[in-house]
Amino acid sequence: MMRKPSVCQKIEPELVATAIGDADTTTAARVETHVRACAPCRQDLARYRAIDSAVGAWRGAPAPAEELVGARLTSRLADLRRRTLVYRIFPSPLGPILIARSEEGVSCIEYLTGGSDFAHSRLSREEGIEALLDGAEVEALYRDLLEYVEGRRTRLEWPLDLRLARSEFHRAVLQATAQIPYGAVRSYAGIAGVLGKPAATRAVAQALRWNPLPIVVPCHRVIGASGALTGYAGNRVMLKQRLLAVEGVRTRKAHADFRIAREAMYVRDRDGREYCLPTCGSLAQRSLTELTLFAARESAEAVGLTPCTDCRPDLHPIARN
Amino acid sequence: MDAERFDTLVATHHREIYRYLARTTFRTSEADDLAQETFLRAYRAHRTLPPDANARAWLFAIATNVAKNHFRAESRRRRAHAAVRETRNETDGAGPEGETLFNEARALLDTVVAGLPLKQRLAFTLRKVHDLDYDAIARSLDCSPDSARAHVFQALRKIRRSLNGSEFSLGRDER
Repeated sequence: MMRKPSVCQKIEPELVATAIGDADTTTAARVETHVRACAPCRQDLARYRAIDSAVGAWRGAPAPAEELVGARLTSRLADLRRRTLVYRIFPSPLGPILIARSEEGVSCIEYLTGGSDFAHSRLSREEGIEALLDGAEVEALYRDLLEYVEGRRTRLEWPLDLRLARSEFHRAVLQATAQIPYGAVRSYAGIAGVLGKPAATRAVAQALRWNPLPIVVPCHRVIGASGALTGYAGNRVMLKQRLLAVEGVRTRKAHADFRIAREAMYVRDRDGREYCLPTCGSLAQRSLTELTLFAARESAEAVGLTPCTDCRPDLHPIARN
Repeated sequence: MDAERFDTLVATHHREIYRYLARTTFRTSEADDLAQETFLRAYRAHRTLPPDANARAWLFAIATNVAKNHFRAESRRRRAHAAVRETRNETDGAGPEGETLFNEARALLDTVVAGLPLKQRLAFTLRKVHDLDYDAIARSLDCSPDSARAHVFQALRKIRRSLNGSEFSLGRDER
């Protein structure tokens, strides 16, 4: 093939740009001038234009089986989205804490022990999920949580996703626990009773050992029938005491554990609509199983309870010291 | 970017991303897999995409990366080349008689494009079929806009040379 003159070689990129519509007007004008005087380049320009025009037919041309491919994509994406949790780890006042959420709601809050990276999280061993480090959305949750832990907020109105519950029973325990109001405590046996399985006290305690959503599902408000806090987040009963203290629940040290100050708490008997002084009737002798204890009248009244008309806690409130 | 915006992104762009991959891989089943891979990656990363980002260019960049990984081995490119020849044989003669020459020219063009080096093929398709600007193509191919322009130029030059000398007629537009 004969080599082109250098002027033609030099102008070829501009010629191509002109043919495919990428050239500005000055360049296009220069090319036009050149091809008027140069027959081979004129022919080239025509060929490039022909190629450009043929390729133009590809635009918007459908590919085979688009509907099918679209349906397959939708189903795979839906599966991924169901499995995905986005998380972030924060250096909270309670120690490193991981918060994760799905598109449905908050699905995991975890106190990390042994290290503050993902490898120390239970999520890293959880099957059937895909955890992604990310999350401006998770950041906002942490701000709420921080306010809560510091006592500047009494509600965490988050949509919850209980997918990490191990069983239907586990899920039911978490749901019943979530009903315990701010500033109140119930016993493990009490939760078992609510679920209609009064003999399942140990199973309830076991279920709450792996609470995927501590704080927001307030397992710190569930205590032993003796009034002892009994356990929290492994061996971190101190944290339980601290969270209860934020809500106004007083405790005292008892050996390696803490015990709630039952005499300083208002009492609701079973599903009653009233709250009483701890000395009302025979309440002081009753097992915690059927009772809910409140740290303050405000906590009881916040859930719609009224003062007992016998002991009148409204007229004789428990002295706070 | 929230879940709803991602839904819109999928609905708006999945077809053209699939078409882009089909055009650069030449096998429907591979393009199907690669398109899925593209959107799965996009889902995993979409939360970090700034609200004012060009989401379409971003998707093409992901698809381009997926395609590049797929074709990393040179042998794959040859397979693509072979695939388009097969397709051509299957479809030859399908149209009415008068269309045959025209279709053959088109099929020849397919074959030539399939034989281009990968970067040129991707740059050429992004520019000429999907109308991306050179900045976006440069981001997709991880090169400068000038290199992107050069890839498109080289692609066109190769196409013209490959078609020259054959009894090539693109039909209606040649003057």
